[in-house]
Amino acid sequence: MNENIYLPKLAKIIKIKQEVSGSRPIKTFRTQFLESSDFSHRSGQCAMLSVLGKGEAMISISSSPLEKDYLQFSILKSGRVTTALHEMEEGDIIGIRGPYGNHFPIEKWKGKNILFIGGGIGLAPIWSVLQTARAKKADYGKLALIYGARTSNDWVFKEELQELKNEMDIHLSIDCEEEGCNEFVGFVPQNVADKKPSPKNSISITCGPPIMIKFVIEALQELGFKDEQIYTTVENKMKCGIGKCGRCNIGKHYVCKDGPVYSWAELKTLPQEY
Amino acid sequence: MEKILTKKEFPSWIKNLKSFNVYGPVKKDALWEYERIQDPDKLDLNFKNTVLSPKKIIFPQREVILDFNHKKKGKPEIQEALPEETKNVIFGVRPCDARALTLTDKVFEEEPGDKYYLRRRHQTVTVGLTCSDPPSENCFCTSLGGSPHSTEGLDILMTELNHKYYVHSFTDKGRELMKAASDVFKNPSEKDKKDLKQVHKESEKKIKRQVKELSKITDKLKGMFDSPFWDEESMSCLKCGICTYLCPTCHCFDISDEVLSSSPLKGQRVRTWDTCQFPYFTMHSSGHNPRPDKSSRLRQRILHKFSYFVDNYDDYQCTGCGRCISKCPVDIDIIEVLEKVKDYE
Repeated sequence: MNENIYLPKLAKIIKIKQEVSGSRPIKTFRTQFLESSDFSHRSGQCAMLSVLGKGEAMISISSSPLEKDYLQFSILKSGRVTTALHEMEEGDIIGIRGPYGNHFPIEKWKGKNILFIGGGIGLAPIWSVLQTARAKKADYGKLALIYGARTSNDWVFKEELQELKNEMDIHLSIDCEEEGCNEFVGFVPQNVADKKPSPKNSISITCGPPIMIKFVIEALQELGFKDEQIYTTVENKMKCGIGKCGRCNIGKHYVCKDGPVYSWAELKTLPQEY
Repeated sequence: MEKILTKKEFPSWIKNLKSFNVYGPVKKDALWEYERIQDPDKLDLNFKNTVLSPKKIIFPQREVILDFNHKKKGKPEIQEALPEETKNVIFGVRPCDARALTLTDKVFEEEPGDKYYLRRRHQTVTVGLTCSDPPSENCFCTSLGGSPHSTEGLDILMTELNHKYYVHSFTDKGRELMKAASDVFKNPSEKDKKDLKQVHKESEKKIKRQVKELSKITDKLKGMFDSPFWDEESMSCLKCGICTYLCPTCHCFDISDEVLSSSPLKGQRVRTWDTCQFPYFTMHSSGHNPRPDKSSRLRQRILHKFSYFVDNYDDYQCTGCGRCISKCPVDIDIIEVLEKVKDYE
């Protein structure tokens, strides 16, 4: 055991994109390690990002493992570390350690339709698996995305979503009516009920605020999705990333190592602690 | 190796341990604490229980894990701040506190291992002391598979026999420590061996408090997550966290950055003990908190120790030292809580 599990590797921010502005801003950061690294992740995993002097925050990796040139993180400005990240500029250096946690069992889903359902910043954790499925399109059935946010300004990856419209069904939503926006008005679970995706030979992956996840799962069950067909990725406050600091547990599970990806069949057996 | 050491000769043993940092119970303001000792006479083996367990020597309440500095326009530098390579010995370790180390070992040894903890653990020799009389009225080690003369987690166990100690080493580390002063030790007589057995037997009988049928409680806890029981039991809790602060098995920690100078940036990444009894322990930056009240946090403490840890590491995360009972300002008594679980309908 020579590795120091708390020692981050330095990485340069090579690109910053303002995804969402306003009071709940989101930025996407692309980073490259300064020195060659054996960092290798799978879709669904997270990394601990460091801003020296501010601390660390666990962030899901939003780029696909197929993307070898950079690691991407889409981050909502929320706490101490994410606020510091939002103040950084291209060329600045952060620390990264990880990757942590389990991953989406995408290899097992070959031949199946995949339905992605996201709310707000919750699209970031599923963006990686969406990009992998898209790149290996021939391996999967129909891909579709149902995604919503408070307003059209709050959607992340706006340009990418426009491009994706040529490749897969994309159903966007906003919470309240907006002038000039013709997308579905209502919450994400209502959009799911409205679009009636078929459970036949399908897997659904959902991520968003806890309350959205809860109602999306109910909507999916209503449509006939079985617990094993519903996947989600959860989060809890984390410090170590390796099941030692003791705070991210849901019952006996540590989200940082036993999660963050769960099928509803697994998650429903755990206590409601997320 | 089993030897006899007279109490008079005990300081000579310590004096011979020149290459070691020696720790042991020291009396201060009517309380005992484990401290580094220069003068062997300061070491007081006639102690009741120490406020904190010797866990604090292996896993300090605050430790710097990384040093960093970042000059503007330069590349940041991050250095690991590993514990100094030393040889440590802790005298007067209570068997319950030694067993507690075997439990924190499970957490920090699990891959990927924690270098900081493991280095301190490996370079420390633990010398236990049999509790011939229970050091606290709330001792309940025998309910958890331990005993006042348990050797788990110890390199050496000393047992007081009137004016002398029966010194028994079980590991290479322990034998080496005894060899450092081999001339102060004598071979035990048959009577010494008989006396030892008697003291050990008596010591178990003196443990008055107990939890019965713990495995039944563990089974019962599995179905009690949503029970109103936790509201009732936590009603008087002040959320002070002393129960976890004093616990020899609690391992939860925080990692935070401390800035020493802002321009150029210089600072330390620090690990500190943390507690599941505080709201910020689990609060998301959004304000959402999966364990928002004292009821859910008492439940976490009990379930971690008597359910989750059992599932994950096949052991209870409690060794019955009784500190959380003795020092709780509102008399929340973990033995009573567990007993009530058993009868709860």
